[in-house]
Amino acid sequence: MNTKPGNHIVSMRQVNKIYRQGKVEVRAVNDLSLNIEKGDFAALCGPSGSGKTTALNMIGGLDVPSSGSIFLENNNLAELSRYELSVLRRDRIGFVFQAYNLVPVMTAYENAEFVLKLQGVPERECRQRTMAILREVGLEGLEHRRPDEMSGGQQQRVAIARAIVTRPAIVLADEPTANVDSATAESLLDLMQLLNREESVTFLFSTHDPRVMDRARRLIRLVDGHLESDEIRQ
Amino acid sequence: MNIVKLAWRNLWRRKRRTLITTFSIGFGVLLAVTFTGMGDYGYTNMINAGADMGLGHVTVEPLSYNDSPALDKRLSDSTQIRKQVLQLPGVDDAVVRIMGQAMFASARKSIGGMFVAIDPQQESEAHNLFIRSMIEGELFSSSEGRGIVVGSRITEKLGLKLGKKLVYTTSDVNGDIVSAIARIQGIFKTGVKEIDGAMVLLPIDSVRATLNYADDDATFVSVLVKDQRYSQKIKHLVEQSVGAANREVLSWKETQPDLAGLIAIDRSGNYISQVLISLLIAAGILNTLLMSVMERTKEFGVMMAIGMSPRRLFQLIMTESVWLALVGLVVGIIITIPWYLYLYHVGLDFSGAIGEDYSAGGVLVDPVMRIRLYRESIIAILSGVFLLTLISGLYPAWRATRTPPVESLKTL
Repeated sequence: MNTKPGNHIVSMRQVNKIYRQGKVEVRAVNDLSLNIEKGDFAALCGPSGSGKTTALNMIGGLDVPSSGSIFLENNNLAELSRYELSVLRRDRIGFVFQAYNLVPVMTAYENAEFVLKLQGVPERECRQRTMAILREVGLEGLEHRRPDEMSGGQQQRVAIARAIVTRPAIVLADEPTANVDSATAESLLDLMQLLNREESVTFLFSTHDPRVMDRARRLIRLVDGHLESDEIRQ
Repeated sequence: MNIVKLAWRNLWRRKRRTLITTFSIGFGVLLAVTFTGMGDYGYTNMINAGADMGLGHVTVEPLSYNDSPALDKRLSDSTQIRKQVLQLPGVDDAVVRIMGQAMFASARKSIGGMFVAIDPQQESEAHNLFIRSMIEGELFSSSEGRGIVVGSRITEKLGLKLGKKLVYTTSDVNGDIVSAIARIQGIFKTGVKEIDGAMVLLPIDSVRATLNYADDDATFVSVLVKDQRYSQKIKHLVEQSVGAANREVLSWKETQPDLAGLIAIDRSGNYISQVLISLLIAAGILNTLLMSVMERTKEFGVMMAIGMSPRRLFQLIMTESVWLALVGLVVGIIITIPWYLYLYHVGLDFSGAIGEDYSAGGVLVDPVMRIRLYRESIIAILSGVFLLTLISGLYPAWRATRTPPVESLKTL
C-alpha cells in the first residue's frame, strides 16, 4: 500500500477509534489503514457496529481518531483547527446523510446553494451553478419547494446537489439509500454513478444496502472496526 | 440565503412560542416605560414643586447661609446677580427673595412661621407655588406696602380672615427684634399642612425696611431652570457667571437634601424593581432561545458538517436574537403607546387611597399618577431591552457552537 498521503484523496494510517461506554471500552475502528483514490466509487460495508459511519465521520473531520492519522488531500486532519476543519469540509468535502438533513426553512434552491453562500461565491455565479446542479439532479422546476413539500427521493437529490455543487474532492454518503424505496434508491444510485462517471466526482459510501454494494466499483468490508477486505471490481 | 433571512425564517418555525416571547419582551417594555415614566414625571414634579416653594433649582446665597440660615447673612448686589443669571442659557427665570423666620400674631394668638419676601413684579404663578395655590384674595401688587399673603391654616390658627391685620416679629440685620403690621390680602392653600400653617409671602421692600436692609439686599436669588435635569450644569454656569468668595451657588440637591434623598431612595427601589423584572424576562428569552437551539442540535450538526464555521453559527443564533429583540420591541411599542397616552393624559387617580394632600420630603405629591418619558429614558429602555435580549442569546449561541458536529449528528 502506498502510504504517501499526497497520492490519494484520503489516506488513513493505522486509525483507531475507541469509545468509552461507562467503564467499558468499545473499539469502533481498529487499526484501519486505507486510501481512497480520485474517481473512486467506493462503499464501506459491513454489519451494524462494524465502524462504517465512524470511519466516514473521521474522514470528514467530524470525529477524531483515538490514534493514527488521516490525510485529506495532503491535509493532516489532526493538525487542523476547528475553523480550518470547517473550511476544509466546506470546500473539499460533500456530505449526504441517510435522513437527507435539509434545512427545513429553506427551499430546494436555497439548500443547494447554501454551501456556495458559505464560500462567499458571488450571487450571479451562485445562481448559475445552483440552477445547473439542480438540473443535473433532475429537480428543475422544484427549486422553490421546501423539504416538507418534496418526496424522500427528491429531498435526497437536493442533498446530493448540495454535496456536489462546490465540486468537492470527495462526497461522503452515509447510508444514502436507507430511507427511500427501491425505485428511488436505484434512481439515486444512477444519479451518483452518472456524476462519478461524467464529472469524476469521488464517492465514498457507508452502507449495508446490497444495491449500493452491487454498484460500487470498490468494496471495502469492515468487521468489528477492522479492514476485512478491499475489493476492486470492474 | 443570507444569515439574516435564514435567522428570520428560523424565528417563525415555532410561531406560538416566538409570539409568546415577543409579547413577554413587549410586556417588559411596557413595565419599564411605566416605572421609568412614573419616575421621570413624579421626580420632575417634586423637584419643580420644591423649587417653586422658594429656593429655586439653583440658589445664589451668602456663604454658609445654607448651613445656618440667618437674616444677617445677605447678598448686597442681588439685582445685578439676577440680571446676569437671566442671561444664561437654560435659565427660565430668576427672582430675588428674602426668607426668614418670624412670629405672626393676631390680637388673640401668635404662632411661629416663615416668611418669603418677594417682588411681585418678578414673580409668576409658574414658579411660585404659593401664588398659584391662592384660594382667596390676590397677591399684593407692589413690593412696598402692608400686604401679606398667608397660608390657610395660619388664618385658622390666628382666627383671621381676608382684610384683617396681623403683626409679624423678627430680628433685623443687627439682631434686634423688629415688628411690622401687615394686612391679609390673600390666602393660599397648597395642601401641605406644615406649609399652609407656617408660610407667608411679604412685599420685599417693606421687609427690607423692617430688617434695615439696603435697597439691593436679599438673602438669596432663586434660579428657575427650564429643565430640572440640567440643574447641576446650570449651577456651574451660574458659578462661573456670578461666583464670588462671599457667596455660594447651590443646586436643589444641596438646599433640599431631604427631597434629594427621598428621590434617590425611590429611584434605587425603582431600578431594583426593573432589574428584577428584566431578569425574569431575560430568563424567558433565554429559555426560548435555548429550547430553539436544543431542538435544532441535529440541524446545527449538519450545517457544521457541510462547512458552516462555529463563528458563522454563532452569528446565526445571535441574528435570531436580534430579530427576536426587534420584533419584541415593535410589539412593546405597539402595546405601550395606548397605555402611555392614557397615563400621560388621564393618569390613575390614587386620591381615594392617599388623599388630596399627600406630601413627601416636604413637597406636595400629585395623587393622580401620570407618566412622562424623557428622550434619554426612551433610548435607555429600548436599548436596554435590546441588549438584554442579545445577552440572553449569548449562552444558547455559544452552546450551539460547542457541540461537536458528530455529537449533533448522533441525534439523527
